[in-house]
Parts: sequence; structure tokens; C-alpha cells
Amino acid sequence: MRKTGLYLLLLPGVLFLTLFMVIPIVMTIASTFYQDGSFTIQGYLQFLTDAYFLKIMLTTLQVSLVTTIACILIGFPAAYYISKLGPRKKGILLALAIFPLLTSSVVRSFSWMIILGKKGLLNSSLLAIGLIDKPLEILYTPTAMMIGLIHLFLPLIIITLVGVMENIDPDLLKAAESLGASKLTAFWKVIVPLSVPGLIIGSILVFVGSLTAYTTPALLGGKQRVISTFLYQNAITLNDWHLASVIATIMIVITFVVIYFMNKLATKLNPKG
Amino acid sequence: MALLTLENVSVAYDNQYILQNFNLNIEKGQLISLLGPSGCGKTTTLRLIAGFLEAKDGRFMFDGKDYTRVPVNKRNFGFVFQSYALFPHLSVFDNVAFGLRLRKVNETEVKTRVQQILEVVSLGGYEKRFPKELSGGQRQRVAIARALVIQPDLLLFDEPLSNLDANLRINMRVEIRRIQQELGITTVYVSHDQEECFSISDQVAIMNKGVIEQLDDPATIFKYPKTEFIARFIGFTNFIDFAERTEQNGEIGLRVGDHHFTASKNPGTANPSGKKCAMRPDDLLVTTEESTEPGMNRLRGTVKVSTFLGRSYQYVVETELGDFTVNQEMETPYKTGLNVNLLFPKDKVVLVD
Repeated sequence: MRKTGLYLLLLPGVLFLTLFMVIPIVMTIASTFYQDGSFTIQGYLQFLTDAYFLKIMLTTLQVSLVTTIACILIGFPAAYYISKLGPRKKGILLALAIFPLLTSSVVRSFSWMIILGKKGLLNSSLLAIGLIDKPLEILYTPTAMMIGLIHLFLPLIIITLVGVMENIDPDLLKAAESLGASKLTAFWKVIVPLSVPGLIIGSILVFVGSLTAYTTPALLGGKQRVISTFLYQNAITLNDWHLASVIATIMIVITFVVIYFMNKLATKLNPKG
Repeated sequence: MALLTLENVSVAYDNQYILQNFNLNIEKGQLISLLGPSGCGKTTTLRLIAGFLEAKDGRFMFDGKDYTRVPVNKRNFGFVFQSYALFPHLSVFDNVAFGLRLRKVNETEVKTRVQQILEVVSLGGYEKRFPKELSGGQRQRVAIARALVIQPDLLLFDEPLSNLDANLRINMRVEIRRIQQELGITTVYVSHDQEECFSISDQVAIMNKGVIEQLDDPATIFKYPKTEFIARFIGFTNFIDFAERTEQNGEIGLRVGDHHFTASKNPGTANPSGKKCAMRPDDLLVTTEESTEPGMNRLRGTVKVSTFLGRSYQYVVETELGDFTVNQEMETPYKTGLNVNLLFPKDKVVLVD
């Protein structure tokens, strides 16, 4: 085959994405700057000056950030453990780890509602053993969203980290130890920095995923709004497509800003990664 | 007293012994090689000394102290890995400084010492490079510098040259020997490359199946191997099992069936338990002449195979005692099927287990 013709292989994918993703997104963004046929940034001004909108944005960022940090803290040691296992055990544990991704988010959220509700499994158990004397308010709060999102996104960070950690030469740890590092120091000075690429990719996936998740916050958050549920409300319930497009554009911008800074961070932490 | 002593050490994986009742003594300032085929336990021994493995039984004494249970990071041994194991996220400088910073050496001194040691391995000016930007030989030298800069009490090499090409390997082994002697640092060196071990070591321990079969200086091993395994390993190809051994007129008499041979008394024939004569192909002669030269043993045979080797011919001579391989320089070769006399000097016979 002539090499010049190879780009044709890309054509179906590019065509599909252009038609059904790039063009709609560009149109959505463009539409936010035009109202009644003239240029305007009124939608943005409205959004950025309204305390209620800003609070929703803040809650969303908070939930996404906490979810990401929690996923890193829980996922990092788990991923390290899995990366050290033999191929058979590794396969089994990885399959278990990605299990949450294989169930529908509606089903998963309903399970959490059963567990976290006022008369749910968690509260009734805690009441029964006398640790609390009235039910904890977890369901329909940001905490419930975070629990649901951590459950949803933990697999992503584990998978990306295992992929990176598997490729770290085990001799590097031995080398660090022979130079005087304790096992913990060796882990901190070798495994952690070398895991940065996986950590960054995993964090981006989790953060952006949390930022844009809809089902989990909608079901577990109750009246508590995040950007995605707020967008939905504006578009479908209030039929305000202009504001919905503004919100969508802001989400896209936040996503790109996050990715940009994460990449900056990655280059700083791991200059020759 | 020896600096390093392994006493009746055993190491086992899955109930399979790699080392059993293993003993080794190393004197201060020496470079000792552990040489042997893969699976002989040489790397296991090295990793045990480094502390990466724990002995199931036995003791490891170092400088009069019991090191058996001392963790790796408290041993102060430098280890050079086959894969170099340089930290890919750190520059050459930071790689070398790694051990010093863990020892809380102040930054000014770190700088002087790192620069000094980089000069020793001829890598001055490479401080800012990253491992990826270096050639194999340069990486190896960074690895050596990193192990040396902590002023280790013992330096350990695990097949350090096997990932380098042939020319570089020869340069690097000269380098390693130079640095080792310059700093007078006791070194244990593992390799499966015979030439490499023989060229740089004070002592070579040849290992087979978890046992040191011989520990001597390179020249002695080369001339007087103690076992058939070692003899084969260093190029002896001809062996005769003998039935009886006698001593007469200061010489050793050997008998196999009706054949009688003599061997001179020397360190190579001193081994009282030796059951075989071993001879190198270069030490044998093939001749059609019948006159007996003094100092030669004689065996009749037929030329079975004749191969041209460039400088010499190689013959396989068939005799009553089996086939013998002979390398001989000559103008016109003997033809296959020719009846010949196989001569072997009595001072070139070695008796092995």
C-alpha cells in the first residue's frame, strides 16, 4: 500500500467525530455568544455574578476534587499491591477492581441509596451497635455524591496506576535500598515519582468524570445541585437552552484548564517521564 | 581473618535448595569472582550478601559482626545491577547523590563528592544528563559511581557487563579493575563470562549446582582445575578414566586396562581423589612417527575427523580409550582413516575428580 493512502484509515473515525461531536460542540459554544442575532457575553456575566450559580460550581469542584484525592489515596496502595502480584492473582484482582464499571450507574446508585438512607443498612447497623443515637444525614448530601463517585471512578485510577507500576523495574527499589533507603523511603522516592504519569492520567479521568457525571449526583444528591444536574434542569425543565449552553461551555473550559495544569504538574514532577 | 564469611548458609525457594551448607571467605581488598553457568547459585550468593535474600540457615559474618539479619539499607554495600537500575526520573547528579542525601550529608559536600566520583569514572560534565540520554557504557559508569560514592564497605557486581557490546566490555572491565585497585575496595563480582572473571579477579570461585568447586587465583584454576566440571568449563576436552594409580621414581603411574601412562608430580596431579586425567586439545600431538620421545605418553588411534581451523587443524582421533580432540598447527593435514600415534606430555596431565 502507498504510505500516503494510510491516512484514509482515519477517515471514518474523523468523519464521525467531526459530524457528531466537533460541529455540535462548536455550534453550542458559538451559540452562547449570540442572542437575538447580536454578539453578547450576557450569559456568562449572568452566570459568574450569580451567587447561586457560583455555589453550584464551587460544590461541583469540591466534590470532584475530594473524589479525586480519595481515589488516589485508596487506589495508590491497592494498585501497588496488585502490580506486585503474579499474573493469575493480578488478573482476578483487576477483574474485581473494574467490577463497578460493569454495572449500570443507576443500579449502583440505588444500592447506595439502600445503604446510606435514613433507615438504610449503615444507619441501622450503627444504631444497633450503639455508636450513634440518631441516624446520620448522608443520603442527598455532597458526601453521598462523593461516595458514589469514588465507587464509580476508583477502578479507573487503579487500572492506570497498575499499568504504570508494572513497568517500574523492581531493581530500582533494590538499588534505593542498597543506597541506604528504608522500604518506605524507597517507595516514596522511587515508586511515587515514577507513578506520576499514571497518577496524572488517572486523576484527569476521575476529576473530569466527577465534574461531568450526571446519574450518580442526580440520584444520590437529592436537591443538592452540581453543574451537570443544573445544566439538565436548565435545558429540560426550564427550557433555557441559552443558559444551558453557557454552562456546557464553562464545563468544557474547566475540563481543558484542569488537563492543562495537570500536564504542567506532570512535567514538573517527572521531567523526563 | 577474613573480612566476609558465609558459614553453612542455606537458601531455598519452594523447598528447593539453591545453596546448601555454603561456605565462602573473602579477604579484605580482594576482588573475587563467582563464575558458573546459569542456575549455579552465583547470583543467589551475591543477593544474599547484599541482603536482598535471607538465609534459611547459617551465618553471614562481616568485619567481625553478624550481618545475617541486618537489613539491606543498613549494610553500606554498593550494588551494581546488570540492568544498571538507574533512577530514570533523576539526573546523573541526583542519581549519584541519592545515597549521600539519604545519609544527610550537607549539600556542599554532596556536590564535591559527586563531582569527584564522576571524575573517577570519567563522566565529568555529564551531571545534568538523564539516564535516557546516556549510552550503555555511560549508564554503567553512573551505576558504578552511584555505588562508590557512599564509600561502601563492600562492592557487589551482578553481571555488570553483559548488556554491553564486546569492545566496550573489555574497556569497562579494565576500568572496573582500575577503580577497584585504586580505592582498594573489597569486591564480589558475578559473571558467567570466563575471560571476564579471569582477567579482573584476584580469586575466582567456580560454582556448580550451589557448590564452589574450586576457589583459587585465575592462573592456578586455568592450569590445574580440580574437577571435571571445571576442566570442561575452561577448555579441557580430553578425559581418561583410570583404574589404578601408583607412585614410582617421583612420578605418578596410571593404568587403564593394558595401557600405562605417567604423569609428572605438580599441583595438578596432587589431588589424591582424582579419578580422571584431563588434557587440553592444544597439549596433545598427533604423529605418524614411531620413535618415542621422552616425556611423552603414547596411544594408538585413527584419525576420525579433520577440520581446518584457520591457524591449525583440529583432529578427532579414535582410540581404544575413546575419542580425543587435538588442535595442531601444520602445513598439510593428516587424512581421515590414517593410523597415528597420539602423544601427550606427562607434565600436561591434570588429575581431576
